Amino acid sequence: MHQRPPIWRNVAVLKWLAQFAVLFTVLGLFWLLASEAQENLQRRGIPAGYNWLSGPANFQLGEGIQTVDSPERRLTMSRALWVGMVNTLRVAAIGIVLSTILGVFIGVSRLSKNFIANRFASAFVETMRNIPLLVQILFWFVILGSLAPLAADSGPIPGWLIVSQKGISIPRVFLADGFYQFVAMLVVFAVPLWFIRRTLKRRQDDLGGNQRVTSTTVAYLSVSTLVAWFLNPVMGFLGGVLDSVATAWNAIPAQIIRGLFGVLIIWFAGARIRSLLNSRRTPVGFAKLTDNDWFQMLFTAFAAGVAALVVVRFRPGITTWFVESVGNFWSFLGAKFGDGRGAQPIDAMLPTLTEGRFINISNTGLTMSVFFASLLFGLVFYTSSYIAEVVRGGILAVPRGQSEAALALGFTRGQMLRKVVLPQAFRVIMPPLGNQYLNITKNTSLGIAVGFSEIVQVGQTVYNKNSQTLAVFSIYIAFFLLCSLSISAVVNTINRRLAIVER
Amino acid sequence: MSSTKPNDNTGQSPRRNMITCRGVKKWFGDFQALKGVDLDVGEQEVVVVLGPSGSGKSTLIRCINRLEVHQEGIIEVDGVELTNDLRNIEKIRSEVGMVFQLFNLFPHLSVLDNITLGPIWVRKKARVEAEKTAMELLERVGIPEQAAKFPGQLSGGQQQRVAIARALAMEPKIMLFDEPTSALDPEMIAEVLDVMRDLARRGMTMVIVTHEMGFAREVADRLVFMESGEIVEVGTTEQFFSAPREERTKKFLSQIL
Repeated sequence: MHQRPPIWRNVAVLKWLAQFAVLFTVLGLFWLLASEAQENLQRRGIPAGYNWLSGPANFQLGEGIQTVDSPERRLTMSRALWVGMVNTLRVAAIGIVLSTILGVFIGVSRLSKNFIANRFASAFVETMRNIPLLVQILFWFVILGSLAPLAADSGPIPGWLIVSQKGISIPRVFLADGFYQFVAMLVVFAVPLWFIRRTLKRRQDDLGGNQRVTSTTVAYLSVSTLVAWFLNPVMGFLGGVLDSVATAWNAIPAQIIRGLFGVLIIWFAGARIRSLLNSRRTPVGFAKLTDNDWFQMLFTAFAAGVAALVVVRFRPGITTWFVESVGNFWSFLGAKFGDGRGAQPIDAMLPTLTEGRFINISNTGLTMSVFFASLLFGLVFYTSSYIAEVVRGGILAVPRGQSEAALALGFTRGQMLRKVVLPQAFRVIMPPLGNQYLNITKNTSLGIAVGFSEIVQVGQTVYNKNSQTLAVFSIYIAFFLLCSLSISAVVNTINRRLAIVER
Repeated sequence: MSSTKPNDNTGQSPRRNMITCRGVKKWFGDFQALKGVDLDVGEQEVVVVLGPSGSGKSTLIRCINRLEVHQEGIIEVDGVELTNDLRNIEKIRSEVGMVFQLFNLFPHLSVLDNITLGPIWVRKKARVEAEKTAMELLERVGIPEQAAKFPGQLSGGQQQRVAIARALAMEPKIMLFDEPTSALDPEMIAEVLDVMRDLARRGMTMVIVTHEMGFAREVADRLVFMESGEIVEVGTTEQFFSAPREERTKKFLSQIL
């Protein structure tokens, strides 16, 4: 039996105490600052809290899913902020996709032995990453603003591609009435495909040669897409099914769900504690627990208890909200199906003009405002230069011996890239690529410089109106934290899955 | 070009030629690494290439499966001339196994997948069959229990044995070894040399660049001594060690033995 150190010299105890001390100090400081600010605001006659969120916005937004207040659709403060968030997410998502495509292309070109591709890519990277992002965004804004005004015959291709002061518009492909029925039918067709693929893959493993796994899949998918395109109204009966699911869900008393939540939280904590105990089990059968383990288990149990109490006892609204949302989701899905619905899953529309402006978003082509476009172009060109370097570095990080070994086995260049170089390069590229995605998301806030209605710009309008600076900033922080942490979570999961076993 | 050109000072056996080099020259920028190399390797013959570092040994065997491109001269492997014809290059590469100084195993694949990758994708073999062969090869190099592990989890000697198994899985007619033991600890060298010795006994055609003199003496049919991009002397093992003809060979041997 080894001797336990006294508690004031026990590293595990001290470590945890220090962590708690830091945590409480930080929280305390925040609380102090917040209450101080709150007090000041109150002295100036500005009410504390978030009650203003449900009040009317009394201002218009530049663009987004809702821009003006109307009797049938009220524009509240919270709704206005939500519109801003959707705009931010829209730029971020499109920016991430485009800058990845452009970045990979430029990065690979920079490695190419082709003189022109190589020099062009180098020049692109060196220019784009050496000019501040804000300058680039403003540059695009000035360029786009100096274009010709919008007219009935605006080009370059009138009616198809319109580039003007008011923005850029191209034909839009959108989901038509039959889309959900179409998808449901494809899901039904996917089940036999799964079995067919499994059988073919087994045959490939057993017999070798070429058992046509890919070509069969492609053929099957094309045929089933064609069938689903025309026969999707058959799936209309799902509307009734989903409606009854919604009714059944709404019939469950909220108390039961609340209780289930409590049980789930406790069960989750129990599972964590059990897995910790299992991981500490030695072959002899004794669980050797350190003080650190005890602290972890206690902390988990405590946190779970608090969470369960909050959900079940103190904030019953959380469960009610959850129950309502899920119910709404089922009826929302149900409304997408119906016997009387048109069969076409996808439709397209050309840009339409009335009185020198693009008409409402739902009735025209895909239109980017100059504000959106200048922010997007700035973000994409700036970030893709960094992504290009990340990609280049990742490919260069794979040792030459790897490609030599693959070539020595008789691989073609394509096989070598696919099987040996890219899988290894991807592991190097992924973490810094995730950083660039975070950067795009955060840099969308520069849209304020050109007056694009993203969350920061909308929030500024809000606090200029009602002086709720603190509350608005807390919303900013929560929103960006949520975005960034979601992206990190995805990237980290991918990294963990891909990690090379070293020992 | 005849592939059985007699060469009076090579001490060459009358076997069918697997590798024929005639006047092979290679430059890296201004530096000439190979200054007209003539070499024949017969079927089932084991040729060991010796020489100080920088003498062009590695360059020569890397030219044989075209990891380096020679600029002048002719290289024929199993009757197929190495030119820019892509199909020839891939055919020759899949018939010539190569083992590198730094193993070059694929770190993202398990040992088994390392060995089966070539047979499945280049030879279009069935996975089941490729894995069966791979297990037999791992048995032969003495580490079947490591099949599911990753290269990073193995010792250097084990990694090099996997690399040999990987090359053998392609059923090559010729094996090239580029200093296979130079990156290994002394106690691991023996296990790799054992595997190579076994290969030689089974009649594999081999070209080996090595500094292991004892091993060379034991296994080689012929020895080639290179210095500054030229073949200085070629001889049977017996004659090479007991009665070297060239002054430079004598000097090299006296330094190394």
